[in-house]
Amino acid sequence: MQAHVSQNYLKKRAGRDKRFIAFSYAAILLAGAFLVFFFVDIVHSAWPAFEQAELRVEVNYNDQARKMGDNALDENVSYLVSRGFTRLIPNLLREDPSLLGTSEDKWVLADSEVDQYLKGKPNRLRKAERQLVDTMRAEGRARLAFNKGFFLNGDSKLPEMAGIWAAAVGSLYVLIITLAFSFPLGVATAIYLEEFAPDNRLMQVVEVNINNLAAIPSILFGLLGLSIFINFMGVPRSSALVGGLTLSLMTLPVIIISTRAAILAIPDSIREGALALGATRWQMVITNILPLSLPGILTGTIIGLARAIGETAPLMIVGMMAYIPEAPDGFTSAATVLPAQIYTWSSDSMRAFTERTSAGIIVLLAVMLLMNGAAIYLRNKYETKW
Amino acid sequence: MNLDTGTIFFYLFCGVLPLAVVAYFLATRKTFSPSFKGQQMRSTPGSYGWYAVVWTLSPAMLGSLVAALLKLTGVADVPGGALVAAAIILAAAGLSVGVATVKPGLRARQVVERLIVKMLFVASLVSIFTTLGIVLSVTFEAIKFFDMVSLWDFITGTTWNPDEAVPGRGTSGVFGSVPLFAGTFMVTAIAMLVAVPIGLFSAICMSEYASPAFRKVAKPALEILAGIPTVVYGFFAAITVSPLVVHVAEYFGLQADFTNALSPGLVMGVMIIPLISSLSDDVINSVPNSLREGALAMGAYRSETIKNVILPAALPGIVSAFLLAVSRAVGETMIVVMAAGLRANLTWNPLEGMTTVTVRIVDAFTGDQAFDSPETLSAFGLGLVLLVVTLLLNVISLVVIRRFRQQYE
Amino acid sequence: MPKFLKNLIVAAAVIAFGAGMAQARDQVKIVGSSTVYPFSSYVAEELGATTKFKSPVVESTGSGGGHKLFGNGVGLDTPDITNSSRRMKASEFEKDQKAGITEITEALIGYDGIAIAQNGANPDFSVTKDELAMAVAADVPMNGKMVKNPYKTWDQINPALPKRPILIYGPPTSSGTRDAFAEMVLGHFANKNKDLYNPISPSNKAEKYEAVREDGVYVPAGENDNLIVQKLTKDKDAFGIFGYSYLEENSDRIKGAKIDGVSPDPATIASGEYPISRSLYFYVKKAHLDKVPGMREYIELFMSEKMIGSRGLLKRIGLIPLADELRAKVQKDVLSYKNLTLDDLKK
Repeated sequence: MQAHVSQNYLKKRAGRDKRFIAFSYAAILLAGAFLVFFFVDIVHSAWPAFEQAELRVEVNYNDQARKMGDNALDENVSYLVSRGFTRLIPNLLREDPSLLGTSEDKWVLADSEVDQYLKGKPNRLRKAERQLVDTMRAEGRARLAFNKGFFLNGDSKLPEMAGIWAAAVGSLYVLIITLAFSFPLGVATAIYLEEFAPDNRLMQVVEVNINNLAAIPSILFGLLGLSIFINFMGVPRSSALVGGLTLSLMTLPVIIISTRAAILAIPDSIREGALALGATRWQMVITNILPLSLPGILTGTIIGLARAIGETAPLMIVGMMAYIPEAPDGFTSAATVLPAQIYTWSSDSMRAFTERTSAGIIVLLAVMLLMNGAAIYLRNKYETKW
Repeated sequence: MNLDTGTIFFYLFCGVLPLAVVAYFLATRKTFSPSFKGQQMRSTPGSYGWYAVVWTLSPAMLGSLVAALLKLTGVADVPGGALVAAAIILAAAGLSVGVATVKPGLRARQVVERLIVKMLFVASLVSIFTTLGIVLSVTFEAIKFFDMVSLWDFITGTTWNPDEAVPGRGTSGVFGSVPLFAGTFMVTAIAMLVAVPIGLFSAICMSEYASPAFRKVAKPALEILAGIPTVVYGFFAAITVSPLVVHVAEYFGLQADFTNALSPGLVMGVMIIPLISSLSDDVINSVPNSLREGALAMGAYRSETIKNVILPAALPGIVSAFLLAVSRAVGETMIVVMAAGLRANLTWNPLEGMTTVTVRIVDAFTGDQAFDSPETLSAFGLGLVLLVVTLLLNVISLVVIRRFRQQYE
Repeated sequence: MPKFLKNLIVAAAVIAFGAGMAQARDQVKIVGSSTVYPFSSYVAEELGATTKFKSPVVESTGSGGGHKLFGNGVGLDTPDITNSSRRMKASEFEKDQKAGITEITEALIGYDGIAIAQNGANPDFSVTKDELAMAVAADVPMNGKMVKNPYKTWDQINPALPKRPILIYGPPTSSGTRDAFAEMVLGHFANKNKDLYNPISPSNKAEKYEAVREDGVYVPAGENDNLIVQKLTKDKDAFGIFGYSYLEENSDRIKGAKIDGVSPDPATIASGEYPISRSLYFYVKKAHLDKVPGMREYIELFMSEKMIGSRGLLKRIGLIPLADELRAKVQKDVLSYKNLTLDDLKK
């Protein structure tokens, strides 16, 4: 009897153990399943955006086309062609008057409604227009081609013209500013705290404060940027400079914390060795500590920057959520960034923007993965176990 | 002369930096001059070079700093041309003084290094000024708001209806922030319900069960979750998860809003999983092996060891991770802005639309109201509360984790 | 020297010497209403694509935020143009004068109708403005007394209406569309029942009554939210309140309800027959006209027939053009940069 109970008891314990292990693997698999679902969903909805409808039409450079580009096309077709093409015809004729009176047959960008129709999505084409597109497709005069414009154009109100180039350049500018401010400041702070700081009240406050800074919601950094950088210091609104400055303050604690960890990992024997040879503390830092902790510092910096490049909320407050179709040509001219572009597209009422939003997300994710991958690679390659 | 900022900086840079280079070479060369021959030098030639560079750059930088301060405080507007000229003259003067004072007896290295340490010190203060800046910029406007709305009404009021806050009518009972905090609480709670079990079990799996090969795949995969930008999560929550939740709810005969609180909560939970799992992973790993071995030696299963020995020992660390995650969820903006809607709604039903503190802050800044209207200023009031809450959570979590560390390290 | 390299050096210098000085600009800066934003950015894009000027930057800050930024002075770090979905207020005009912005030109560009939309598959729905007010207001008169709005279905308001639950998705309090809706529907209705509404209205004026019910019947949602349309396509009971341009974009899925017997379309909105519509404006800071390249060209393009004309491009994205005569007058006034006066605003 007794033995029977304990048999049962042991079985129960074994069962509970198995269940526990199953749970723990299930947790990871669940997270992995979400990741897969997420990527499949985004890629699935982004896929169509990498193709764009084009139509082969006859362009007549007649006299009327000098005023309104639409006149260069057959009246039925002109509604199907993107305004991004027709609006350029008057300029073309002004620059090259010899074109006048000629005509050519060429592939041009189609309107987004045609694009959506060809992709089998809901659209607002009228019945006659649909039939026309069908005929053109049957004649091989309508096709879906690789969407170069998406990578080369800036933002546009015409979905078929909208691209990410301007936002990508803007992101790069913001990133340069962020790096330029947060890296030196962060590394300097970490070096001071680890190697030079006296153990007094002030430094304890600094240490607690750095942890606090890391926990402050990003949107509050936006309020800081608005009142200090824009209203007080007069940095131009919507500029890469103000965005970069705001983000650099956000990235600062990440860099400080990872640099401190990297410096802390270096054993004291190295320090003592340098000091014993007659080096000053600063010489020891610059010749030993910094080079040895560099991989750790870089890893932390890349992770911090990867976070900064995906940040949206604070930039909203400092005016970077605007219609800015051209790439910035300086740090003080207006710029938008990838996540801001994604947000503006996602709230646009034209449905053709939805697939572009997803495509923009893919690009942003690719950048993030690349950066995080670089960080992981650095960490694995140069990580020294002391 | 009216130059734009870019050009001013361009000239500054092109004028002053080469001077600094010249200073370095002049000073180092001087150390090889006959006057140094046979003398015992206090520093290396390079140190003398840097000494001269410091002399060259600091007057010019001070000058432009003063000019910037004058401009900011509105005392005087220094024209760009004059600034550039002044900076270059100052730099040249500094250069000559610097090079002239290079003498064998000069302790150049000490001078330079002391300056470096001071600069490091100043750098370490930047983070303090940042916090101070945030606190000040939020409080300053928040005070204006609390001039119009009583703090008590703000904290205890249960209706948020800024519509009625028009001149000529009292503001009492209009800016009650309870529904907003209820929304924030609801979304945070859902996120925690997702993140804590999954994150904790993942951490346990990683540190106790997983083979190195599995770890190698799973760990970066979890880190990817942390790296996905919030605007992407927001889009995903709004476009994919929300309709899904509505469909599923319908299947069970329930009515769900498209802007329900559940979908941003779920997605936010996924975002927070890696935070919980990596922090818990750390604390579980720092529980001494002797405890583990002791339990196993008594014949306990691994799961029993974890449940009865490791987790209790690691509890403070896990609590601290939990608090950090809560503070992250409370302050998260984009996911809720895109998926949670704007209805200030006091309810227990996560399928209804609710709004959160951060949503209202963003909405106040992008809305059509006048900038000094109570509605826009309320953003600062909400920001202040948000700041206090996250700082409190963070400080508590720091204290808890410090206790834990003291116990085992 | 390549421009990028120069920029890098400038950045390095900024870091070394600290930021904070005013600058010249080669780009028009526009702020203001989210309703005018799509039209404004459309014109900006056209300007950038067809001329040598850089595209103007258009930021959607809301009408109030726009006037605030606009009124910060005449320095080049302030915006050149602000879009507005309502007329400038006299108080804003006076503030501008004090800040040194003495010369402003007002441009009326067209109308935006506010549509009450529902699922496209539903039978047509027709209400009066007053019935709509009774469905949305926080307080309604009943037997000569004010009560909290008790109506749950449309037929309770008027037996002739279908027995259908009242459920309305509309703009949030921060939105200009909400203000316009409140003024034209609620204020109008309250003013008809002055004695009852005066005591509960701001400054005791019934026409300023704008309280919307809070019991879940009126659900605030973002103006441009695709989720509302999704909701309307699923929930056949629901109505959505938004700008006409949005209805136009989604005309294959949703349709507008008739108000006072008139359905929203460009003709009825422009003629004023459709009762809930508002005027859209932008305001020009004349002091910047000769300092910012492209500003005149932007304004000329915007005011051209090609854009705001009766067959203009903006009509395609939902702007309701002005009547021909009025448009000709406005075009003349704007292009001669007529100064706005306080008397104009009081008219």
